[in-house]
Amino acid sequence: MRKFVALAFIQLGFLAACGGGGYRAATIIVPPPSQNIATPGPPNVETLAVDAGPAGAVNAAFVSVKVCVPGSTTSCKTIDHIEVDTGSVGLRILSSVLTTAPAITLPPHTDGTNPLAECLRFADGDAWGPLAVADIQLPVSGESATSVNVQVIGDPAYTALPTDCMTNPENTVAKFGANGILGVGPFAQDCGSACVGGIPSTGAVYYSCPSPSSCASAPLSTLLQQLQNPVSLFATDNNGVIVELPAVGGAGAATVTGVLVFGIGTQSNNALGSATVLQGNTFSGLITATYKGTAYSDGFIDSGSNGNFFTDSSLPTNCTAGTQWYCPTSTVNETVSLQGTNSTMLTANFSVASADALFANTTYTAFSNLGGTNPDAMGFDLGLPFYYGRNIYTAIENASVGGNTGPFFAY
Amino acid sequence: MKLTGALLSSIVLTAALATPAFAALGEDGTTVQADVARMKGVLRITSSAAFTVHEITTESGVVVREYVSPDDKVFAVSWRGPLIPDLRQMLGGYYGQFQQAANAPHLGGHRHLTIREPGLVVQSSGRMRAFFGRAWAPDLVPQNFSVDDIK
Repeated sequence: MRKFVALAFIQLGFLAACGGGGYRAATIIVPPPSQNIATPGPPNVETLAVDAGPAGAVNAAFVSVKVCVPGSTTSCKTIDHIEVDTGSVGLRILSSVLTTAPAITLPPHTDGTNPLAECLRFADGDAWGPLAVADIQLPVSGESATSVNVQVIGDPAYTALPTDCMTNPENTVAKFGANGILGVGPFAQDCGSACVGGIPSTGAVYYSCPSPSSCASAPLSTLLQQLQNPVSLFATDNNGVIVELPAVGGAGAATVTGVLVFGIGTQSNNALGSATVLQGNTFSGLITATYKGTAYSDGFIDSGSNGNFFTDSSLPTNCTAGTQWYCPTSTVNETVSLQGTNSTMLTANFSVASADALFANTTYTAFSNLGGTNPDAMGFDLGLPFYYGRNIYTAIENASVGGNTGPFFAY
Repeated sequence: MKLTGALLSSIVLTAALATPAFAALGEDGTTVQADVARMKGVLRITSSAAFTVHEITTESGVVVREYVSPDDKVFAVSWRGPLIPDLRQMLGGYYGQFQQAANAPHLGGHRHLTIREPGLVVQSSGRMRAFFGRAWAPDLVPQNFSVDDIK
């Protein structure tokens, strides 16, 4: 009885929070605690592992990807520790991994005349390298696509960085933190319409390279010239992904094994089921997060973030590990309500433990309760910690999932 | 702080100047026209007694704001949109200091970066399609201005 009363009280609280944010009456859904994780294998389930990777990561989830010279079944290489990132789009591989014996050389992706290159802009730095074409296969599920545009980061032939692509260069495995990245976010291309039809007047992304040392920012005439979401290119199971990682206890875990499921509602193992859809903004993919009475309009769920990053001045940041982490003296339980551009609200519970206490166990790489500050005062970033114990869906823009259309997150 | 000023002008320029000077952090506010030209943007100016905001919206949908003090110095800049603008253009003479600090090992992954240096604060956040960042020079910030107002 007492439990029931408490739950009702919490729900009233959310109604008040949502009403205060100016939204229409919302349906409030508390997700069930049960979780079923699919079995790796064909036709659509890839093994996903959280471990330190090649550069000592925490809260980074990796798959292996097989890349081949287009049309070849022998000039191939299976690359481990490609980070799965629902916050970016496109397959990118560090050059040094491709050139390690047995090396493979992928042909360039050109604009019809010159090879193209990309400055991939992260919030914390730039990754630079030419674009190439590859046939790709996810080795456990067998999902594949041919003639995929990929970025080769840190190609030694392209060491002359454009002067506008030199912020914290992340062009080595050590700096990048992985052997590559598999961007499976809610968009079909990485840059989209902002990079078509003209050169972005500031902060270019694509470059045309008459020679590797003379790349100049270039307009692309079509979206298809950009890096594509690899999932969109699969023959089937191509409307999105589900990240399924088991729960992690309060102290963390050395490693975690789960799966990356391709497609939503396309097989018996990937039904949307009772998951609640949080429709993302058509242009930005963003959702709104309401936390302690404040609505944060720059909300997103992102497997490529290694913590939950949000603003809470009541949480101490005097961590030895760095002052952007939170270090409460004891673990605190937090609740945020999430709302897409549809009216549904979804409650999200998470915990924050002391980052210093978590990092004290240096053999652990998975932490469900790692949190930190968000430099964006309107930001609310639920990262990989939020994925543990939940199957979280990412649907690609314009793709149909039952009666829904991406971009959306769901769980 | 409330902006009481009205919309003063709305200008579209499409030609880049040959040798643009940037109204970057620490520069004179009078150079903002070169920035508008460089970014091929639409300029909107709002003024109060305490400061002026030059807001440039580029064709790509990036909104850049330059905060200018009464003594005509850009004391803060911010950006919001699908792309990160050229940070050399945004940070001007502070870019080298920023670059050195950003290159140092930092935690927080690819999505967030906070730099706190003597005379310079830079915050950068987000992912492709939705970036936000801001920077300010504490020594140049007018009295009674809250950095929370750098949106």
